[in-house]
Amino acid sequence: MAASDAPNGDVLIRNAFGSVLAFLILLLIGVLAFSIRLFSVIKYESVIHEFDPYFNYRVTQFLTKNGIYDFWNWFDDRTWYPLGRVIGGTVYPGLTLTAGTLYWFLHSLNIPLSVETVCVFTAPIFSAFASWATYLLTKEIKGVGAGLTAAALLAMVPSYISRSVAGSYDNEAVAIFALIFTFYLYIKTLNTGSLFYATLNSLSYFYMVCSWGGYTFIINLIPMHVLLCIVTGRYSSRLYIAYAPLVILGTLLAALVPVVGFNAVMTSEHFASFLVFIIIHVVALVYYIKGILSPKMFKVALALVVSIGLAVCCAMVAVIIALVASSPTKGWSGRSLSLLDPTYASKYIPIIASVSEHQPPTWPSYFMDINVLAFLIPAGIIACFSPLSDASLFAVLYIVLSVYFSGVMVRLMLVLAPAACILSGIALSQAFDVFTRSIKFQLPSLSDHSHIDARDASSEKVVLDDTIKTDKNEDTPKERMTKRSKKKEKEPVEKPPTKFQIKKRLSVLPFEASIIAVILLVLLVAFYVVHCVWAAAEAYSAPSIVLTSHSNDGLHVFDDFREAYAWLSHNTDVDDKVASWWDYGYQTTAMANRTVIVDNNTWNNTHIATVGTAMSSPEKAAWEIFHSLDVKYVLVVFGGLVGYPSDDINKFLWMVRIGGGVFPHIKEPDYLRDGQYRIDSMATPTMLNCLMYKLSYYRFVETDGKAFDRVRRTEIGKKYFKLTHFEEVFTTHHWMVRIYKLKPPKNRIRGKNKKSKSKTSSTTTSKRKGTRRNPF
Amino acid sequence: IANRQLIKYSKLHTYPSLANGAARVLSLVVATLTASSSSNTNDERVEELLSLQSRSKSGIIRLNDQSLSRFLTSVATPRPYSIVIFFDAAQLHDKTELRLRELHQEFSIVSSSFIANHNISHPSRSKLFFCDIEFKESQFSFTQFGVNALPHIRLIAPNHSFKDSQPMDQGDFSRLAESMAEFVESKTKISLGPIHRPPLLSRNQLILIVVAFLIWIPFFVKKLVSGQTLLHDPKVWLSGSVFVYFFSVSGAMHNIIRKMPMFLLDRNDPSKLVFFYQGSGMQLGAEGFAVGSLYTVVGLLLAFMSQGLVKVKNVTVQRVVMMFALLVCFLAVKQVVFLNNWKTGYGIHGFWPSSWN
Repeated sequence: MAASDAPNGDVLIRNAFGSVLAFLILLLIGVLAFSIRLFSVIKYESVIHEFDPYFNYRVTQFLTKNGIYDFWNWFDDRTWYPLGRVIGGTVYPGLTLTAGTLYWFLHSLNIPLSVETVCVFTAPIFSAFASWATYLLTKEIKGVGAGLTAAALLAMVPSYISRSVAGSYDNEAVAIFALIFTFYLYIKTLNTGSLFYATLNSLSYFYMVCSWGGYTFIINLIPMHVLLCIVTGRYSSRLYIAYAPLVILGTLLAALVPVVGFNAVMTSEHFASFLVFIIIHVVALVYYIKGILSPKMFKVALALVVSIGLAVCCAMVAVIIALVASSPTKGWSGRSLSLLDPTYASKYIPIIASVSEHQPPTWPSYFMDINVLAFLIPAGIIACFSPLSDASLFAVLYIVLSVYFSGVMVRLMLVLAPAACILSGIALSQAFDVFTRSIKFQLPSLSDHSHIDARDASSEKVVLDDTIKTDKNEDTPKERMTKRSKKKEKEPVEKPPTKFQIKKRLSVLPFEASIIAVILLVLLVAFYVVHCVWAAAEAYSAPSIVLTSHSNDGLHVFDDFREAYAWLSHNTDVDDKVASWWDYGYQTTAMANRTVIVDNNTWNNTHIATVGTAMSSPEKAAWEIFHSLDVKYVLVVFGGLVGYPSDDINKFLWMVRIGGGVFPHIKEPDYLRDGQYRIDSMATPTMLNCLMYKLSYYRFVETDGKAFDRVRRTEIGKKYFKLTHFEEVFTTHHWMVRIYKLKPPKNRIRGKNKKSKSKTSSTTTSKRKGTRRNPF
Repeated sequence: IANRQLIKYSKLHTYPSLANGAARVLSLVVATLTASSSSNTNDERVEELLSLQSRSKSGIIRLNDQSLSRFLTSVATPRPYSIVIFFDAAQLHDKTELRLRELHQEFSIVSSSFIANHNISHPSRSKLFFCDIEFKESQFSFTQFGVNALPHIRLIAPNHSFKDSQPMDQGDFSRLAESMAEFVESKTKISLGPIHRPPLLSRNQLILIVVAFLIWIPFFVKKLVSGQTLLHDPKVWLSGSVFVYFFSVSGAMHNIIRKMPMFLLDRNDPSKLVFFYQGSGMQLGAEGFAVGSLYTVVGLLLAFMSQGLVKVKNVTVQRVVMMFALLVCFLAVKQVVFLNNWKTGYGIHGFWPSSWN
């Protein structure tokens, strides 16, 4: 063989060169992952985005100011008035602690960054980590080439960008890194059988549990993989080492997180792992007995063990079923249930169904979020099956489960994205491998002096470099074995590459077709890059706290939200309560520092329904509800003037539904005309008299004289009306936020008196008109 | 709309002259009979109906021309009960587009759930009766009600005559038993209670299945240990996972949850079908599957080229197949990009240096 004559030193140098190159590529991938997420800072400003991040920011501020123990015991009285919220016990602390640690670390180095800056840039930093973790994971599955490709794809996959642009300071920002890293350590343990990695795996799982509720995906996916391995006859001691410590240590650690606590052993989401834990022990016992007994004895013992094992399993299953059946929701949380039965949430839980990220996606969502990866994944799946290893089986299982779940909830596209990148990376790397090999071996200029192997009658050409390629590919199977087995099987390991080489020589494609294929693939990837940059720049970088719009006369900036919150913080008393729909709860507490009734942590449906009911009631009833909650100000978001579509009027039907779910006197059909939601002159009287309509459209006719709503594209139904129980105190520049104050109760009593008097004297009525005039 | 047209096509062939003549005589006889009876006949009728009801399994009373006039025309209004009549025709049972059998089945579910929810002493029990009449047996009644198209369900309230009784709309039996019950509830103000559908498997069947499963387990475990099941065939897993992928990216879940149709009729031109819906929030069934298969086919072809085709020895075959595969891939990607831009209205563009323009 010509290839085997190649000097050893040359190979070493080439390997070293490859490693350095891979390192540099990884570094660049990290830079890419970080910098592609900075569009939001460049286009807008360094600001926290959206809703939930504001809460996380507020918690981080508290943590850095008061320290970890105060944070742990924090009872927040600024929210869910009058109930309050135990923040320390109900929040996933991973993100906050990460950012806090980063902040302390930077300050110990005398780099005085503000908490906000640290929070803004946490997500981009962790996406760089996530792409490195992807490299590691994919390397374990299919080698270095696939790893690098997958890392590059993940660095700019739009789905992940949407949750991790600078300023999007949410749990997912660190959780995706933790997810991938946990999977990497699991596969690493599986490939090496090392207890060291198994322990690290549990710690990484702990970090994931700290960070995101999505950890249940891990604790279900890994047991499923283990079960699949057992069922398909792939049990090994490495599998045992990878799984058993994770369940024991992982569950113990998970129970340490206050928000999880005993849920780690009590809810159905975790039962799969315990069931598989039992099964793997039964199977391990079977294999052990098989090892120490003669085949004949084994058959007898097998029957015994299987029957005992089955009995134990059945008993455990019965116990679990009894436990599950005793809880009302069968131990599943609403979100998990809607994954198993996709129609569940839309039927029973409006508060889950109302959130747009819980909707099922359509095909354009896939194209938007994973783009051309959608084309490559099937090739990746097939590549994983040839040949099938424990690790590649895991990749297949991961993609299948996550793609199914993403079909139910668009939010879980985020979990799909890493799997899509891994499999597309594998597919792309394999395709490039084949095509470039075909080109390289058949290059006309090289064919003259590289024609060495005479055995090859089929006109295929070989190049000396072949060995390096095979050597590289060889790395992966080697790593899969434990050190001991490596020594044992050294000779058998030597053999496959030679076979591989022969096969490789034959397996090439036509030269010119391969060139076209490579060009097309490069075009495809280039399109992906263009799409990702576009998505990062145009679609996913809006902070949605500052809005911009381009029109003929230039750029308009709508900074109404901050204007309103600033007004609240400067003009109201520190202990005033502000009511609004729950979407704006986090922002109000974080930016205005005022107490809110409900916020985005939707833990109390009744409380939210109360606010929903108030918004859908007539003015007087609403005033009574709000007054009973000590509310002083009501805040509504109104987009009718500037055409901002996600305003309260568009969310209003959900308020009605959620309110009606608890208070049956609110009925959705009362607000619909012939099943249609409308606010024009055809709207129902209930709609035109409800508080939300009045607060949104109060004095709206004064803007253009016609009261034309630019979101609903119609003139409103009732243009001239007065408020009896509320008074307008502040409306922002573009009318996007309107703040009303509840009139004091004595005013109402005077009004009542007057009403009775007005029958007798007409002078009081004119007086009443005078007092009711609005200050604006 | 399509449904209603279908029904109109299969109008019944009635024989008015004959039926009318016979019935006129009958009704005369009945009229004279009933004139003499006093108010306590009402209780007799109710008793009679209850006994008829107890004879049938689902509680549906089979009426004919005579019994119908006995329980309807001959009883002075307001009658002490409402009657819901299902108009059946055995000769049309084989016309599947009418769904007569299915609707009759649903009707009997409503009836039996009503009986199950109200025991014999319940006051509502004697207020509402579910009946059916068969076309061949009672042609006269069909003409009296003016029923000439099926399926048809009619509610005769206590003070209704034949003509002003209320037919059930298409929409009222669209959702089968549940909507029928809603219709009856809203018109009679009698609560029917929850609908009890017969379980898919009866108790004995369930026991049998469990026993069979328990017997099967040891055999399965034995096979599993020896590694001979279908589960050990990677091809099964491969095709399964590719199918799940195809199913999910085609947005089939969205179609199931939102109950999307496969296609729509064009509003402007009813003869045309709309397969693609513009606007990214919604998709049609056929649309999803079309794009889903485009997503999948590219990957499959790529895998075929890099894994299957390389092993082919004939270079010409390789070349032709590969060119074809590349062309298909290219067109598929192009088509999806085009469709996506059309559907969402996004203009995806690169960010080039401004000096390039």
